[in-house]
Amino acid sequence: MEKIRVLVVDDSRMSHAMMDGIISRTDFEICDYAKTSAEAIEKYKIMNPDVVTMDMNLPDADGLECSQRILELNPHAKIVMVSAMRDACLMTQGRAIGISAFVQKPLKENELIDTLRMVCQSTEDNLKILEESYVKTFIKVLQKNLFSLAGVHSDMSYEISTEGKLEIDGIAIIIGFTGKPIGRAIVHTDFDTMNQFARAILGKDTDEILSDEEANECMEETANIVAGRSVSMINDIFKDKELRITPPGIIVGKKLSIVNPKLITFNIVATTKLGDLKMNIGFAGGE
Amino acid sequence: MDVKLINPFIDAFMTIMPQVGFQNIARGKVSLKEKAVDSLGVTVLVGLTKEIRGNVAYNISDETARFIASTMMCGMPVAAFDEMAQSAISELSNMLTANAATNLTALGIEVDISTPSLTIGDGFTVKISDAQYVAIEMTADGHTVEINIALK
Repeated sequence: MEKIRVLVVDDSRMSHAMMDGIISRTDFEICDYAKTSAEAIEKYKIMNPDVVTMDMNLPDADGLECSQRILELNPHAKIVMVSAMRDACLMTQGRAIGISAFVQKPLKENELIDTLRMVCQSTEDNLKILEESYVKTFIKVLQKNLFSLAGVHSDMSYEISTEGKLEIDGIAIIIGFTGKPIGRAIVHTDFDTMNQFARAILGKDTDEILSDEEANECMEETANIVAGRSVSMINDIFKDKELRITPPGIIVGKKLSIVNPKLITFNIVATTKLGDLKMNIGFAGGE
Repeated sequence: MDVKLINPFIDAFMTIMPQVGFQNIARGKVSLKEKAVDSLGVTVLVGLTKEIRGNVAYNISDETARFIASTMMCGMPVAAFDEMAQSAISELSNMLTANAATNLTALGIEVDISTPSLTIGDGFTVKISDAQYVAIEMTADGHTVEINIALK
């Protein structure tokens, strides 16, 4: 089996020796060392390691700055911060710039290896599992229920979202889920489409009055039904997921963004004659 | 909504805010509300489920969001509510709700929490309940955080 390559960024020789002692006995290997921030960036470009361990204090910059430069080169770079200090605000800053995990010095063998292993879990495998087990179920349930509720056929499409934020101009129903994994689904659409769907669901003609409240409730109920049935279906197939949904939260407004930079998200679109109904599903840390 | 469900959220705020760098934490007025929450600019929704279900919406202004994010990141200047600041506020909402969930467990009520969803914009509303819900105003170093809680 191919070993997972680690770039160790640390200016202390003792740390190199300790890191080597721990890593050499595992399925990881140290592909190179860097003693300064400048060297780390150079070596990252040349070696393209699977994961970087980053000391907080480097002679020419701090570990956060160095990590930020590496993440500019590769936004998906996997970096584990190694620090003697366990400072809450530095960790917040670190997570905000995209550092994957933190371990404290002195290094404990199990902790370091478990952290590296968790960070290196293949994102691609993870995506595949999320797509096959969860996203496709949501798509099927959405399509089926749009037909049974509003009597419309929908052409379904989906893609992995690369944007950290979701733009909303209209209504968004947020339903959280807990279990394995945790996350949330957001059903969203513009006001016109919402009204068209509400009329179709309630069987109201265009000359009949439709209140905003009625229209919102139709969207809320649709989202609730789709999320609830999808989750039951997933729980029936996979007995260990124990997924549960939270009650819906309804956001209404113009030019809004909903963000959660830490989620892996998928955009689903149901194209219908009444307009596009969209659903964004996000999962925290994959499985 | 049962009033004993409120204290776990107040206690969480009192416990977590000092841990992320705030000095003066105070509890302001508590009120019962019915209509959707009017966002102050930044609203984070976290869902709860298991033995009780509901939502909590943390509601703050853009200025407060930047102030909190800056404090959480060792005083780093936060001129705009950018991705880094958004990440800090999401993290805080998660910490507060997770701590409240632990406090609820201590009362014998098991809850699980979902991931936070942070919404940004002008003049939007967030409906968290069909019925009445509780709004608590808390302050941290002079900045107000409105915690809206709907549980049943």
